[in-house]
Amino acid sequence: MTSSTRTASSTPTAPRVAPGPGGAAPAAGRRRPIAWAWLPAHALAWVYAAMLTVPLYYFLVSAFKTNDEIFSDPLGLPSSLSLDKFSTALHGARLELAVANSALVTFSALVLTLCLAVPAAFAIARSRSRWAAVTERVFGLGFLVPTFAALLPTFLMSAYSGLFHTRLFIVLLLPATAMPLSVIILTQFMRTIPPEMEEAARIDGATTFGVLRHVYAPMAMPGIATVLLLNFLNFWNEYLYSLIIIGPDQAQRTIQVALPTLRSTAGTDYGVLTAGTVLTLVPVWIAYTLLQRRMQQALVSGAVKL
Amino acid sequence: MSVVATAPSRPRAGAGQDRVRQDRTGRPRATGTLLALPALVWYLLFTLGPLLAMVWISALKWPGMLQPTSFAGLDNFRYVLSDPLFWDAARNTGVQLLVALPLMVLPAYMLGYYVSRRPRGHHILRYLLFVPGLISAPTKAMLFYAVLSPDGVVNGALKSLGLGGLAHVWLADSATALASIIAIDVWSGIGFTAVLFAARLGAVPEEIGEAASLDGAGHWRRMWRIHFPVIRDYVGVVTMLQFLWTLFGSAQLVLLLTQGGPGSASTTLSFLVYQKAFIQADLGYSQAVGVLLFAVGLVGMLAIRRALRQNY
Repeated sequence: MTSSTRTASSTPTAPRVAPGPGGAAPAAGRRRPIAWAWLPAHALAWVYAAMLTVPLYYFLVSAFKTNDEIFSDPLGLPSSLSLDKFSTALHGARLELAVANSALVTFSALVLTLCLAVPAAFAIARSRSRWAAVTERVFGLGFLVPTFAALLPTFLMSAYSGLFHTRLFIVLLLPATAMPLSVIILTQFMRTIPPEMEEAARIDGATTFGVLRHVYAPMAMPGIATVLLLNFLNFWNEYLYSLIIIGPDQAQRTIQVALPTLRSTAGTDYGVLTAGTVLTLVPVWIAYTLLQRRMQQALVSGAVKL
Repeated sequence: MSVVATAPSRPRAGAGQDRVRQDRTGRPRATGTLLALPALVWYLLFTLGPLLAMVWISALKWPGMLQPTSFAGLDNFRYVLSDPLFWDAARNTGVQLLVALPLMVLPAYMLGYYVSRRPRGHHILRYLLFVPGLISAPTKAMLFYAVLSPDGVVNGALKSLGLGGLAHVWLADSATALASIIAIDVWSGIGFTAVLFAARLGAVPEEIGEAASLDGAGHWRRMWRIHFPVIRDYVGVVTMLQFLWTLFGSAQLVLLLTQGGPGSASTTLSFLVYQKAFIQADLGYSQAVGVLLFAVGLVGMLAIRRALRQNY
C-alpha cells in the first residue's frame, strides 16, 4: 500500500513519461508480451456480455413463437414474424391501457418534479444564507431515507387522503422520491452560471421569476435533461408503490403492474408474456439508444452524487 | 414537519441575507430563497412523515387494516425477535448480502478496469453493460421466470449438454430458490456497477499507471495495488449503494418470483416487511421489522464506509 502511494505521489515529477502518439492508447498495445495475458480478461468480459445478451435475445425471438416452439428450440429463430402475440398482449390483456397509464403517470410526475426542483435549485444555487445551506444538506442526506422502508405508511397516507386506488397519488409521490437527486444535480449546474448574467438581466428590469425563466433555466438545460432522463427511467420502471397504491384495476394500473399478470398458473403463454415484456422495454430502449452517452452519464451521476 | 425544518434557520436566514446584501448589488433576495420551500416541504412530507409513522406503527398492536389499534410498547419487537420466521429471514438476508456483494463488486471492479483501458470493442461492451440498469424489476422477473422455468433456457441447455440430471424447478425448489434470486441480482448488478467503476477509473490520471508499468508492474498488480487504493473511497460508495439496494430492494424480485417460498426458503427481511403488511395484515409486526431493517441499513452503511475509507 505504502509503495503504491509513493508511486502515485511521485508521478507529477516524472513528466518524461509522455503519452504515446495515440494519447490515451492503452498500455496493453505498447507492451507486446502483455497482449496474450489479456486473453482471460477479454474472454471473461465477453462471456459476461453474452450472458446479458442471450436472455434478451431469447425474449425477442420468443415473442414470435408458440410455447411448443419455445420449449423445443429456445434459441432458434422464429419461423414467422407474425405480430399476433403482440396484439394479444396489447388487446387481450389490455396492455395498451397500461402503457397509456404509465405514460400519463411518468409524464405528469416529470412535469411536477421539474416545477418543484428547478425553483429549489435556483434558490439554493444563488443564495448564501444559512437556511439555503441547511436545505441543501437535507437533500444531500436524502439517500439515507430508503423509500421502500416506508411502503406501509405511504399506503396508509393514500388511504387517509382519499387518494387510494388513484394514479394521482403516485403522481404526487414520485416527485418527492426524486427530489434529493434532482435538486442536487440542478444546483451543481446552476452554480456554474456567473452572477453577472443575472445582474445584466436585472438592469433590463427582470424580476426574480424572469431571471429564473430567461437566464437560469436555459443555461441549466443539460442539467434539466439529465434530471429528466434519470427520472424518466425511475418513474417508468417504478413497481412496488404502483402495485400497492394504484392496484390491479385494468383502467388505472401501470405497465409494470400489468406485466406480471401475463403469467398464469393454468399455463403461461410465453409468447404473449415475452411480447408484453418487449413492449415495456421499447420506450426505454429507444431513449437509451438515442441518448446513450447522456443517459449513462445521468445514471452514473445519479448513483454517485448521493 | 416543515416547521421543524424552517424554524431554527429563520433568524439566521435574515442574517445571511444582510451579508448577501453587502456582498452584491443590494437587490432583495428573500423571494428567491423561498422558492426552495415547496420542494423541501414536498420531500419531507412524503419521506420523513412516513418514516416517523413507521416507528409509531411499530409500537401499535394493529391486527388488520380495518381493525382497532391499541398501544403495544415494545411487544411487537419482543414478538418479532422470538419468531423463528424472522430469524429465517435474517439468515437469508445475511446469506444474500455476504454472497451477492463480493460477487458483484469485485468482478465489477475488474470489468470496469478492463473497460476503462479501452480495449477493442469497449464501446459495445459499455452499451451492453448498461442494459441491466435500464430494466425494471418486473421485466427482470419475467425474464428469469421464463429463463428458469422448467422448460426454460437453463434446463434446456443442461439437457443438451447431457446434464439433464442437474435440471431443476429452480424457483420452486427450496435448495435453489434463494440462490436463484441472488444470481439474478448478481447478473444485473455486475454490469451496472462496472460502468460506475469504468467512469471513475477513466478519471484517474494516465501517468499513475504509466509510472507503475515502467517499474515493471503488470495489469493485475496495477489494478489492485495502484488504482484500487486511488479510488478506494469510491469503491466504498458503490459497495454501500449495492448494500442498500440489495437489503431494501430484494422484496420486489422475491414477491414476483418466489413469494418467499417454498416455506420460508427465500423470505428476506424486506419481503417479510411486505408480507406481514399486505398479505398477513399484521401491521405492527411488519413495521417493527421495518424499523429493525432500517437500523441494519444505517449500521451496515456506516460500517462499509468506514472499512473502505480513503487511507492516505
